[in-house]
Amino acid sequence: MADVESSLEFTTSLGSLPPPRTRIFKIIVIGDSGVGKTCLTYRFCAGKFPEKTEATIGVDFREKLIEIDGEKIKVQLWDTAGQERFRKSMVQHYYRNVHAIVFVYDITNAVSFRSLPSWIEECKQHSLGQEVPRILVGNKCDLRHAAQVGTEAAQQFADLHSMPLFETSAKNPSHADGDSHSSNSDHVEAIFMTVAHKLKSQKPLMLSQPAGAQNTVTLQSRREEEEKGGWNCSSC
Amino acid sequence: MNLKKSRNVGASSSLNGIDKQDAESKRKKKVAEITQALSVTPVDVAALRRMAISEGGLLTDEIRCKVWPWLLNVHLDNMPEQLGEVDRENNKDYNQVLLDVQRSLRRFPPGMPDEQREGLQEELTDIILRVLLKNPQLHYYQGYHDIVVTFLLVLGERLATALVEKLSTHHLRDFMDPTMDNTKHILNYLMPIIDRVNPEVHDFMEQAEVGTIFALSWLITWFGHVLSDFRHVVRLYDFFLACHPLMPIYFAAVIVLYREEEVLDCECDMASVHHLLSQIPQDLPYETLISRAGDLFVQFPPSELAREAIQQRSQETASSTFKDFELASTQQRPDSVLRRRRREQQSPPAAEAKKGTLVAVPSSARRFVRLAVMGLTVALGAAALAVVNSALEWAPKLDLHFFP
Repeated sequence: MADVESSLEFTTSLGSLPPPRTRIFKIIVIGDSGVGKTCLTYRFCAGKFPEKTEATIGVDFREKLIEIDGEKIKVQLWDTAGQERFRKSMVQHYYRNVHAIVFVYDITNAVSFRSLPSWIEECKQHSLGQEVPRILVGNKCDLRHAAQVGTEAAQQFADLHSMPLFETSAKNPSHADGDSHSSNSDHVEAIFMTVAHKLKSQKPLMLSQPAGAQNTVTLQSRREEEEKGGWNCSSC
Repeated sequence: MNLKKSRNVGASSSLNGIDKQDAESKRKKKVAEITQALSVTPVDVAALRRMAISEGGLLTDEIRCKVWPWLLNVHLDNMPEQLGEVDRENNKDYNQVLLDVQRSLRRFPPGMPDEQREGLQEELTDIILRVLLKNPQLHYYQGYHDIVVTFLLVLGERLATALVEKLSTHHLRDFMDPTMDNTKHILNYLMPIIDRVNPEVHDFMEQAEVGTIFALSWLITWFGHVLSDFRHVVRLYDFFLACHPLMPIYFAAVIVLYREEEVLDCECDMASVHHLLSQIPQDLPYETLISRAGDLFVQFPPSELAREAIQQRSQETASSTFKDFELASTQQRPDSVLRRRRREQQSPPAAEAKKGTLVAVPSSARRFVRLAVMGLTVALGAAALAVVNSALEWAPKLDLHFFP
């Protein structure tokens, strides 16, 4: 069984001790229960998919050392419990000094999509305003046949709140039943790297896509980015 | 001598044949004592509590089936013969329960056939929903399923239902409020306990602003969510069922204190300390820690900590003014004055404490260690008994009328 908690060991083995002034990007991952927050964060930090995950109680922490343009950066992911009662009185401590927010919904679960406004409100209440970079992730797109949330509706919502939308799957790509040419593992990587790049540059989070095209980031565009050298992920 | 790891104290047996024989005869003696306590009329519940706390706990699941009901004052003859059908769809918590139960694979014995496990997961869902339906004042929380599964695996569905219901309306009652405010309040006991025993660790954790959420799953699942060996889980349940409902928070404090060296070596920031502490070591010396938790409870009963716990809450509601508040209040808090005095009084002679392990052992820690050693060597029974007796006394807000 994959040990969901071993991600720190994994990351520290990436290199020797980071230089003393490694920048830290603190990212909080929120969304309804069961949308796959733990899977996504584990996938990014440990470089593989967890075999089974359990309910997150309170807040779990994972981190990964990445490198962007020669600078080593520590990405800290705070994986939160989805059940409403936890966010109301428990989790607020972990909203402090957050640099970016990742909202997650499950494309096969319309309720998790409809909850997004309340999660956005939640952030507002914790004084995380529009200036804090945020992205929207539609998870479980390997289950496209069971989708309840269409890409267009999600894109509209994302535009309304000026955040980029990613649709992905935190599941092992070999199980994917749809577009088999895509590799979702790279995709998860890319999502968090996008955030990291954004934080590093603090420039508007716009991806190099033809004007007028949908903002949804496809794997293709990601690959192009990589080839241009825009992505420099130490674990790729 | 210090609170930190001293593994050999309680766990050195089985190294040689004599110890093994000794352990076996101890075990036999304990089984006999439990049988005796169960056979008298009325049943000697105080003795059963002592057995559940003292070394090894209740030993086997077979014994647990007989003793746990007494610890919770559940009378088997009052139990319904048949469990009613559960109306799953008409339940506000159904979806959440289902989601959590489906993901609870790790709670079942590794070799168990899928079919059997799936059957048990169905029963698990039913027990939870049945208790919730019958007690509309109770609200499901993620982690509740980790507690219920332990009862199910030890007792079977029928008995588990009765015991879980009692537990939910008593020990777990605070966790099952509409909000988690009371749960948070209970977590507020953690830092004051740590402070009494090792102010250095306490101050370090405060400085790191680690909070107490790392211990949340420990508290609300009675460690069922974080310990992978089922034997350890049930051993702890023996202990907690026999004690005051706040005992799990003392046990949490004991774990932190046991890891004091690791904590102090850690980078002093929220992420590092949270990460370190939330990864619970799987090889803890449970018997030793249980005994320490019992000792701590006797020394620093909840009533003594209540004021600080409340203070902690007021700090949280205004976290921006946290530092100012603390600065202002340190001058007024009698125990912090006492502590400062203690610190001033204790000079280098800490060397006298033990062979150069620590530079300065706070006197409160030394006092505790003496008690802990006494608790271990003289007989756990004394401390355990005190814990049981005090369970009645210190219950400011927890409903304890079921304690005999």
